[in-house]
Amino acid sequence: MDKILCKQNIQASLQKEGLSQAALAKQLGVSAQAVTNWLKGVDFPRPEKLLKLAILLKLSFDQLVQQQENTQPIIAFRKRAGTKTTETHIENARAIGMLLKPLVPYLQGIHTLRPQLSNPSENYTHLQQAVSEARSKLGLSDQTVLDYHHLIGQFKEVGAVLVPVLWGEKKQHQNAMHIHLPEEKVTFIFLNLDTSIEDFKFWMAHELAHVYTPALVGTEEGEDFADAFAGVLLFPNACAQIAYQDVVRARTTHGKITALQKHATHHSISFFTVYKQVESYVRNLQLPSIGIDERSIHIVRNQVSKQLPLVSEALFSPLPPPPSNYIASVDNGFQSDFFRALRVMIRERDMGAGYVKQILNISLADATALHLELIS
Amino acid sequence: MTLVLLDTCSYLRFAKRIRPMLGVKFGQKEYEITILPEIQSEVLHSSRLKHNFPWFISDKEIASERLSKQLKFSKAEKQALDNATSVIYNWVLMNARNYKTPPSPTDCKVLALGQIRNAIVVTDDLSMHTLANEFQIPILHGYELLKKMLTAKLVDKELVKEIYAALEVNSDLPRTWIENRDKAFGRIFKQA
Repeated sequence: MDKILCKQNIQASLQKEGLSQAALAKQLGVSAQAVTNWLKGVDFPRPEKLLKLAILLKLSFDQLVQQQENTQPIIAFRKRAGTKTTETHIENARAIGMLLKPLVPYLQGIHTLRPQLSNPSENYTHLQQAVSEARSKLGLSDQTVLDYHHLIGQFKEVGAVLVPVLWGEKKQHQNAMHIHLPEEKVTFIFLNLDTSIEDFKFWMAHELAHVYTPALVGTEEGEDFADAFAGVLLFPNACAQIAYQDVVRARTTHGKITALQKHATHHSISFFTVYKQVESYVRNLQLPSIGIDERSIHIVRNQVSKQLPLVSEALFSPLPPPPSNYIASVDNGFQSDFFRALRVMIRERDMGAGYVKQILNISLADATALHLELIS
Repeated sequence: MTLVLLDTCSYLRFAKRIRPMLGVKFGQKEYEITILPEIQSEVLHSSRLKHNFPWFISDKEIASERLSKQLKFSKAEKQALDNATSVIYNWVLMNARNYKTPPSPTDCKVLALGQIRNAIVVTDDLSMHTLANEFQIPILHGYELLKKMLTAKLVDKELVKEIYAALEVNSDLPRTWIENRDKAFGRIFKQA
């Protein structure tokens, strides 16, 4: 049985409410043996009895029921700056994960054997080695620009399902959300397209790191590793070395910043990622500092960020896109099987817009428009 | 007294034309219709609902009835409601495959309240009917409530016809209302 009653909480609650097991059975309209069997885990109450049990004992579902861990979604967020992850955010993401389970049989190309990083470590040398191997698998040298299609291809290769969404620039707490279903061995990666284009590639690389390290998903360690891996994947040691040489040749702060920006533009990544990777390179080899103060870095970072479009603005004009354009972009641009599978499922099972609303965490109006497109 | 709890869609189907509706006792079982306070925020946060049901905000009489007659809860009841909602919603999540459209947390709260206040829930959402049956919570379709209101003379034949016509014009006539129209209201519509 994948779920059992939490005996400890029930017994504590019985004591608190001054109820015996026999009295509980009577109030629930079941035999005393039935209650004993529930507490032993050999049987589980029917829904109406479970509900009455919760009300009588004043317990929530989580206090009342123990579920097997491998049936529960594992969640990781790429938070928007300045937001804090709460229990509600985790519960909402977990609910989306549970609701995605019926979609899994409709997905194609799901691989149960996936490449994983053994002994993921933030140690500079280990990280560079791991990235070098990952890049080599993509057919890239350490100096080649990593493009979106490489990342998208890699997600496809490992069977992770990309779900690009239009969540608005500031409406949601997260800009990316990773939901791994351990029982089904499927990972869904939600990416908010209403986000600055300069950060987007970094987030995709960050999410790819989560796919490579499933054991660390949902932990602080996993988040730190994914950030470190993403930075190195986008701008490895070999690139940092060249950038460093360019920067130290420049005589003024402006010249140094221009040198860093040139590399950021060439790789279509953020100025800050380039700066951080050069800093790591300098620290590792104990070289003289590049001599740009943090304040200047942040000023430039903010200026550049304001000038760049959102990914959604770059992809669609005008915004919001018609549902057909959005779905086509997810199907073709992101090579995602998500909407194809959803279309088949909705048609086959005659499902409503409410399902689309819940799994994509969007408004009913948007879900209704998408649903209409999917059934047309 | 038997409490009858409308979900948001059911409220929107009846409230414009049946006045007064909330808090009015009718029928031998003294049915009394009520709503959850969440209806207010659900409509106000949905541009689609606000657009389709402009009277929800503009009609002061209906708004006043809604605000004065909505359910209020004690602290203990709120706790019981939260616990019951968590059980029903987690049941949905564990068995998501069983529902055409898995009921939302708000849907589950409506059913949980049905259990706690011994209320009959009224909804045209078929997945909520499936869920209510699993939890043995009394539930009715909107047309079934309309039939009870007709029997108790809370509405007359003309109003039944008017409601059916309005829902049809708004493309908001649920399949169950269409399929059961002649069975429930045969005389009214045969005369038409």
